[in-house]
Amino acid sequence: MPIIEVNGLRKTYGAREVLHGIDLTVDEGEIVGILGPNGAGKTTAVECIGGLRTPDAGAIRVGGIDPASNDPRLRQILGMQLQQCRLPAKITTAEAIDLFAAFYPDPRPTDELLERFGLTSQRDQRFEKLSGGQQQRLSVALALVGRPEVAILDELTTGLDPAARRDIWTYLEHLAAEGTTILLVTHSMEEAQHLCDRIYIIDAGRVVSQGTPDELAAAAGGQSISFLPSSPVPLDDLLSLPGVTDVRQDRDRIVVEGDAAAAQNVLAALTTRGVTAGQLRVTGPTLDDAYLRVTEED
Amino acid sequence: MSATTALFRNELRLTLRTPAIVIWTVVIPVVAIIVMCSIPGARQPLEAFGGLSVVEAYQPTLVVFAASMLALQMMPMILGQYRELGFLRRLRTTPAHPGNLLAAVLALILVIILVVGLFLSTLPLFFGLGSVGRQTLVVLLLIPCAAAFLAVGALLAAVIPNPRVASGVGSATAAVMWFAAGMWVPRAVFPGWLATVADWTPGGAVASLLTSAATGAAIGWQPLVCLVAWTVIGFTVAIRTFRWE
Repeated sequence: MPIIEVNGLRKTYGAREVLHGIDLTVDEGEIVGILGPNGAGKTTAVECIGGLRTPDAGAIRVGGIDPASNDPRLRQILGMQLQQCRLPAKITTAEAIDLFAAFYPDPRPTDELLERFGLTSQRDQRFEKLSGGQQQRLSVALALVGRPEVAILDELTTGLDPAARRDIWTYLEHLAAEGTTILLVTHSMEEAQHLCDRIYIIDAGRVVSQGTPDELAAAAGGQSISFLPSSPVPLDDLLSLPGVTDVRQDRDRIVVEGDAAAAQNVLAALTTRGVTAGQLRVTGPTLDDAYLRVTEED
Repeated sequence: MSATTALFRNELRLTLRTPAIVIWTVVIPVVAIIVMCSIPGARQPLEAFGGLSVVEAYQPTLVVFAASMLALQMMPMILGQYRELGFLRRLRTTPAHPGNLLAAVLALILVIILVVGLFLSTLPLFFGLGSVGRQTLVVLLLIPCAAAFLAVGALLAAVIPNPRVASGVGSATAAVMWFAAGMWVPRAVFPGWLATVADWTPGGAVASLLTSAATGAAIGWQPLVCLVAWTVIGFTVAIRTFRWE
C-alpha cells in the first residue's frame, strides 16, 4: 500500500518551472531513491513532499495527509533530514538528540541513536567541534528520533567515510525491515544500488526512468565479453551470432558487446571451433550506465 | 516536557555557555550598581542631577543598558543566526513549530532582564538607599519596561534578515536608548525639546518611570502609554513580517 503518493507535481520559482509534473509512489516499508544530476529538482521534490514548500500543481499524500495543509499529524509520522541545515554551535550531540526527542511522544532512546550512528564518544562534544561527517550523522539521527513511519533523507551519506556509510546503510535496512518507509535523495550510485528497492531518476524536473536497480541497469544495455583467444577467430563470425551487437579487436583481446544471451552464444561458438577463451571477463551493465544514459539523452 | 519548555532549557544552557552575553548583560550592570552604592559620595543628592543621587540617577540607566543589550542586540542576533543556520527550518520538520523557539527565546530574554532588573532595584536597599515599598513598585514596573524592549528587538529581528546587520542596528538603537535614559548626559540637564523626544523612546520612558517610582514621585501616564504603544506596535509588525527562512 502506498504511504507516499505524488501525482503531477509542479513547482515554479519565479518564471522558471523546476518540476514539470512528477509522479511517484512509495509503499510502506520500501526504501526508494531519487537520483539525478545537480539542479534536477530532487530537493524541491522532497521538500514539497515534506510540506516545506507548497506545490503549484499536483496532489501529494503522505500517510493520507496533504503536506501543504499544515496538519500537525504529518510531523508525527514524518522525519526529515535536510541538506545544509546546521544546529546551534554550542549544543552538544546528546543535548541535540534529547532536545528533538522532547518533541515526540515516544522517542528512540538517545543512547541507542548515539551508538547506531557511531557518536557515543562525541556525546558531550559541541556541534561546532564535530567533523562534517559527525554533523551529518547527527542530522540523520535527529530525523529518526521520533520513530517516524516515513523518513525523508536528503544527501544521506555525502562526505562520510566508507565505514560510516556502511553502518548507516545497515541501520536503515534494519529500520526498513521494521516497517519504516525511507525516501532518500542521493548522488551515490553505490548507495542507490545497495540500499534502494526502487529508484526514480529525475532530470530537468521530470522522472526520466524508474524501476528496481537491476531493471534500470538491464535497460541500460547489454554485457561486454572480452577474452584472449587461444587461436585467431574471424571477427565477422562472432558478429553474426545471435544477440551480438559489436565485435572489436583490442590488442590481443577480442571484445564482444551484446545482450544478456551474447556471452553464452560466444562461448558456445568458441567451443565448437576448439578455441579457448583465456582471461575471460564478462561485465554486466551497471546503474551508472543507466544513469548516464538517461540523463545524457537530451 | 513541552516543546517550548525543552527549547527554553536549551536556550538557557546555550546562553550560559556564551560568556560575552553573561558578562555584558548581567555582570557589568550588577557590579556597576554595587560599586556606585559603595561610594559614599554617590549616595548623596546632587544639585546637578535635579536632587537625585548618582545611584538613583543611574539605576534606571543600568536597567536600560542591560535590557537593550539583551533585547536589541543579543535577541536579533540569536534569531537571525538560527534562521541563517537553517535551524528554524529544521524545526518546521518536527512537531515543534519554530514559533515555540521564538517563544522560548523571548521568554528567556524576558527572564534575564527581570532578574538583572531585580538585582539593580534591590541591591541599593542593602546600602540603606531607597525603601522596600518604592523598590517593589520599581520591580513591578520592570515588566512593561522589558516588554517594550523585547517588542523593539523582535521588530528588528523581523525586518532585518541578516543577523549581523540586525545586531548592528540593534547596537545603534541601544546607544540611542542609553542616551535617552541619561547614560552620558543626566536627563535632568536635557533641554525641553530633547526631554520630550527622549520621553517617547522606550529608553527615556523606562528611565522616567523607574526614577519616579524609586524617588516616590507621582507616576505619570505618559511613560506607561509610551511603553505599551511600543510593545503593541513592535510585536504587531514583528508577527506580520517575521520569516522562518
